[in-house]
Amino acid sequence: MARKASLALAVLILLAAGYAVFAAKGWQWKAALFPLAIGIPLFCLAAIEIAWTLAAKEAPEEPAPNPALPWAWMIAFLALIVLLGFPIAVAVFMLVYLKAQAKEGWLFSIVLTAAVWGAFYGLFDMMLHLPFPAGWLFEWLGLA
Amino acid sequence: MLEALWEGLLLVLQWKAFGFMLLGIGLGFWVGLLPGLGGATTLALMLPFIYTMQPVEAFAFLLGMHAVVATTGDITSVLFGLPGEATSAATVVDGYAMTKKGEAGRALGAALASSLVGAIVGAVALAAAIPVVRPLVLTFGSPELFMLAIVGLAFIASLSGEGTRGMVRGFIAAGLGLLLATVGQDPQAGVARFTFDTLYLWQGLDLVPVLVGIFAIPEIIDLFVRGNSIAGNAPPGKVAKGAWEGVKDTYRHFWLTIRCSLIGTFIGIMPGLGGSVAQWMAYGHAAQSAKTPEERKQFGQGDVRGVLGPGAANNSKEGGSLIPTVAFGVPGSTSMAILLGGFLLLGLIPGPDMLTKHVAVTYSMVWTIVIANVITVAVCFLFLDRLAGITEVKGHRLIPVILVLVYIGSYTSNSHYGDLLVTLFFGGMGYLMVRAGWARAPFVLGLVLGKIAENYLYISTARYDAAWLTRPVVLVLIAIALAVIAYPFFQARRRG
Repeated sequence: MARKASLALAVLILLAAGYAVFAAKGWQWKAALFPLAIGIPLFCLAAIEIAWTLAAKEAPEEPAPNPALPWAWMIAFLALIVLLGFPIAVAVFMLVYLKAQAKEGWLFSIVLTAAVWGAFYGLFDMMLHLPFPAGWLFEWLGLA
Repeated sequence: MLEALWEGLLLVLQWKAFGFMLLGIGLGFWVGLLPGLGGATTLALMLPFIYTMQPVEAFAFLLGMHAVVATTGDITSVLFGLPGEATSAATVVDGYAMTKKGEAGRALGAALASSLVGAIVGAVALAAAIPVVRPLVLTFGSPELFMLAIVGLAFIASLSGEGTRGMVRGFIAAGLGLLLATVGQDPQAGVARFTFDTLYLWQGLDLVPVLVGIFAIPEIIDLFVRGNSIAGNAPPGKVAKGAWEGVKDTYRHFWLTIRCSLIGTFIGIMPGLGGSVAQWMAYGHAAQSAKTPEERKQFGQGDVRGVLGPGAANNSKEGGSLIPTVAFGVPGSTSMAILLGGFLLLGLIPGPDMLTKHVAVTYSMVWTIVIANVITVAVCFLFLDRLAGITEVKGHRLIPVILVLVYIGSYTSNSHYGDLLVTLFFGGMGYLMVRAGWARAPFVLGLVLGKIAENYLYISTARYDAAWLTRPVVLVLIAIALAVIAYPFFQARRRG
């Protein structure tokens, strides 16, 4: 996994540096100076790292645990925030996660959800008046 | 001077000023703990409340609040791997690693004790440096500040991995950080760089969503797949005992703590470098203090010196950055720029008057920094063992709470959903870096320094062409950067 991750990182950085140099060529020198000064050596170093990784013998590694499930939860929470807005998404996510993933009892799940939601709403919404827009779902339904 | 110092102390201890300071400390305590609520933002929010206050009361309130933000910011960094502040991200690297080994109490003790030492060093520097700081600040023009940024990057990159390959990876990570710092509208020509026609990226990548993503997301995934508590399988009772061990660590590595405090003070004095830089420079110095390659490998795995260095520098920089603010009206950081607004609201003009006519007010600021930190650290120690106990709570109970903090912390940076996407994107990158064994510190320092370095490089080139490279201080800094890069090779060769 370490070898694959290293290779993936180096390839992504090589592509990013290559794109940066390519894009910067079309800008005025004032704007292009720094991206070129960084992008060119970065491209070369990333190429060296790729060559290094490919040339090295693959050492036996312990299989890494699958991170798909935590990623799915994080992406789902993000989707909930966008669709329902922060205040509702926080409550829904907390409760569903505690019941479905953490396998907690109803009482604990409801109490912890209420505590976190109360702290969030009291501090960020009531005290600091941070703007939390209504979710896109409510906008689509004309309820926002 | 002693008379003015005494007068400054008496001013802070007046009941009204002291009361406002306690109020400020209370606010700063929570602002530091909660990710996303920045010290600078809170200073700006509180500025309108000082209209009716006397100068000493106003500074006791504002500085009392600001002085403790970095101190309590370290707590979330250590406990959850989630930087409470952009300025406490470096504490995550070894602080959270210690927590995972069941040493949360010790890490918190070390972070708080070193913060206190740092705050005192910074305050002493503020008191002592005011009369002599002018020549130092004037010696550092744009070329010198650019080279200082390069020295900082060389420090971190060269120490972030084992051997030549580790160093190359360190420089790649630093380079990526520098490159990503160029995202957004360029300050010289107004060109929109790497914005992909999105308005959100015009102002560049905000530091908080990136930091939260790159540090917190990989740790959440790790906690999820391990399925146990943050402290893992640490022996029962070990986690919550150790705060005093952390305090003792501060005194075991007393000179390192003092040196890192001085680094923080120096970075604070230099206008434009900012607090996020100080912690990483101090971390680099702490890592460099390792005597053998084996000892250096401990950094990132939970070495207490990796907590002491950033902890001390974080707080000492406040005293340092007050020096140019008070003496010349040149703010050393965003927070100091806001504080400068406070000076003007109160009818005080920074400059010679603050060193003569209002010198007691200036010294009251010194005392505020010291007293606020003493109170905060004392209060924190009352709860430290209980706080450390949180790391023994089942991971699945903590994960949703941490995720709520992660997303809210990111979102509050710009109140834009783009912040959440940035957090997830850099969370993915952080995860890959952890899996690949690449250090994240050089990337973050590159991102922090990118805009500053670009600005100074442009001014240096536009003003002096290539001649800036021959300025004496620049030459000294180039030599230091080369020595920093060569040192690990030299050390390895000497050891055969």
